[in-house]
Amino acid sequence: MKIAARIVITCIVLTLPLVGMIVRKQWTLETGTAVLLETQPVDPRSLFRGDYVRLNYMISDLDLEKLGGDDKFDRFDDVYVALAKAEHYWEAIGVYHQQPQLAGQQVALKGKVKYVQTSRWNPETKKSEPVKSIHVTYGIENYFVPEGEGRELERPPAGSKVEMLITVDRFGQAGIKAVLVNGVERYREKLL
Amino acid sequence: MTRNRFWKQLKKELPLWMEKGWVNPGADQAILEHVGRRGDSSKFLSFAFGILGVLLLGSGVITYFAANWGAMPKIVKLGLLFGGMWLAFAIAGYLLRDDKAPHLGQAGVLLGVILFGADIMLIAQIYHIDSHYPNGVLLWSLGGLAAAWLLRSQPALIGAISLAVLWTGMESFGFERQMHGWFFPLWLAFLPLIWRMRWKPALHVAMIGVLLWSFFGFESLRNPLFAVQVYFLAYLALFLFGLIMATYERLSYFALPVQRYSLLAALLSFYALTFPYLQVGYPFLHGSNMRPGVAKVWLAATLIFLALVAALALWHRQCFGRQKRPLWLLWGQVLVMAGLALIIVNLFIGVRYANLMAIGFNLLMFAGVVWLILAGSYLGDRFFVNSAFFFFALTIMSRYFDTFWTLMNRSFFFMAGGVLLIGGGIFLERQRRRFTGQIKSRRGERGDI
Repeated sequence: MKIAARIVITCIVLTLPLVGMIVRKQWTLETGTAVLLETQPVDPRSLFRGDYVRLNYMISDLDLEKLGGDDKFDRFDDVYVALAKAEHYWEAIGVYHQQPQLAGQQVALKGKVKYVQTSRWNPETKKSEPVKSIHVTYGIENYFVPEGEGRELERPPAGSKVEMLITVDRFGQAGIKAVLVNGVERYREKLL
Repeated sequence: MTRNRFWKQLKKELPLWMEKGWVNPGADQAILEHVGRRGDSSKFLSFAFGILGVLLLGSGVITYFAANWGAMPKIVKLGLLFGGMWLAFAIAGYLLRDDKAPHLGQAGVLLGVILFGADIMLIAQIYHIDSHYPNGVLLWSLGGLAAAWLLRSQPALIGAISLAVLWTGMESFGFERQMHGWFFPLWLAFLPLIWRMRWKPALHVAMIGVLLWSFFGFESLRNPLFAVQVYFLAYLALFLFGLIMATYERLSYFALPVQRYSLLAALLSFYALTFPYLQVGYPFLHGSNMRPGVAKVWLAATLIFLALVAALALWHRQCFGRQKRPLWLLWGQVLVMAGLALIIVNLFIGVRYANLMAIGFNLLMFAGVVWLILAGSYLGDRFFVNSAFFFFALTIMSRYFDTFWTLMNRSFFFMAGGVLLIGGGIFLERQRRRFTGQIKSRRGERGDI
């Protein structure tokens, strides 16, 4: 085979997975169910990739005793967290090892157990108390913003609220659709 | 010896060779010119500068994008990312065509692969893709492998292997995988191209990669005794395979690196088995339950690798005819048998006899090191001899500072070992004289001397 043909094939072979990354994410955003989540921004900056906001959600820490579904999980397990729409935000109602059957107005968000907590220090009683909770990541914990704009989202002024509008596709994959500050859309994702 | 030193040595020797009539008068200049031309380093320099330039350019491009990222619309960002990668490959193709500048062309391929990796990270940033991050490195490695296959590029393949090692390191350390088995099929995928193109540097990187991978897995084990035994068997199997490779014309080119790396890893594993605390158990780790029994998975793995070692040993025996089998090889086989017997026994004994097992492994380690010196001197392989001396010193030092046995016991151990070595040395010298005498007399009968 001639070198020109080899170069063209190499370019195609290496471009396809990159396009696949975009298509997969865009498919989730276009076909998924929109879910509004309450956040707790925590962390600032990537040295390599400009500014990004590291997000912690209310559904990141799950108390297994208060939720339905399975109750035994290990670190790095894949999990499905069932979410249902509450008054304003969507909230966790159960955690499962397998994708659960859901009623209407519910979605199952796929995540990974980052750590399992079995005890917690109670500062009032000054004793360690047994708990059954897990910290889950969903792949929506990083949001990249233009350099210099991360800090405002990371530490909003008192009284301000950062909310994330995400979409969850039928496989449980999630993508960030929009960032809202005090209910007003600040960033919205588009294909181009 | 470097080429320059070789050339100087040759220049010094040639007048004597001409005097003895081994080299025709006038041929000395032709020989010196030929060797001098081989030493022309300009090609290497252009390649080295090309690679370094590519690495710098790649880093500069990535940071330039990062610095100006916010100001660009998405379509421009994507255009830059895809266009940059395509351009790098196009330039590489132009330079590789008709062998215009093959070394710079290879540097261009490497730049394309580097930009592919940058594209993965930057597209993940643009589209807020935050998945299992080692997967990005895996994808990068696979891209490097594809480029290496399609463009016959050794630098791309070396990059792909290095990225695969980075990937398995991330999985092992970041996600507590005891043995990240998925690395192995990927590693195997690198080999056909190495074999087909006869790329030795890539083979070296691949061998180092597989050793690092096994080290990453070992790191996360709480009870490593039986895993170390499996490691030893696996590397012994690879060493035997290296010996077999040497007997096949199509594989012999790669035999030496395979033998050397696997020998080093096998010695390192066996050296670990000489530690009495590994045999008996760690009080701070296992508490009262010293030396836990063998888990099913390690028992199965041990048996599988034992079978593999036996099969390879039989294959190796078939490669050598009975009459061709030298004495050092027979002794090596006896030692391997003794080692395998020790490993099998070690699977089933309790903590009560673990101390004896440690002594057994130490004795066999010293015997193995002596054998290695013997094998190295017969084969004329200094690597074997140097490795043997290194592990001999390492084991002596380890036992000297080991606090498991009493000082008196260690003293007896060293004295007995010393007597055995001196006795062995005298025996070997006698054997050597007998053999050389036999060879001389055979030559005399044939009228060779």
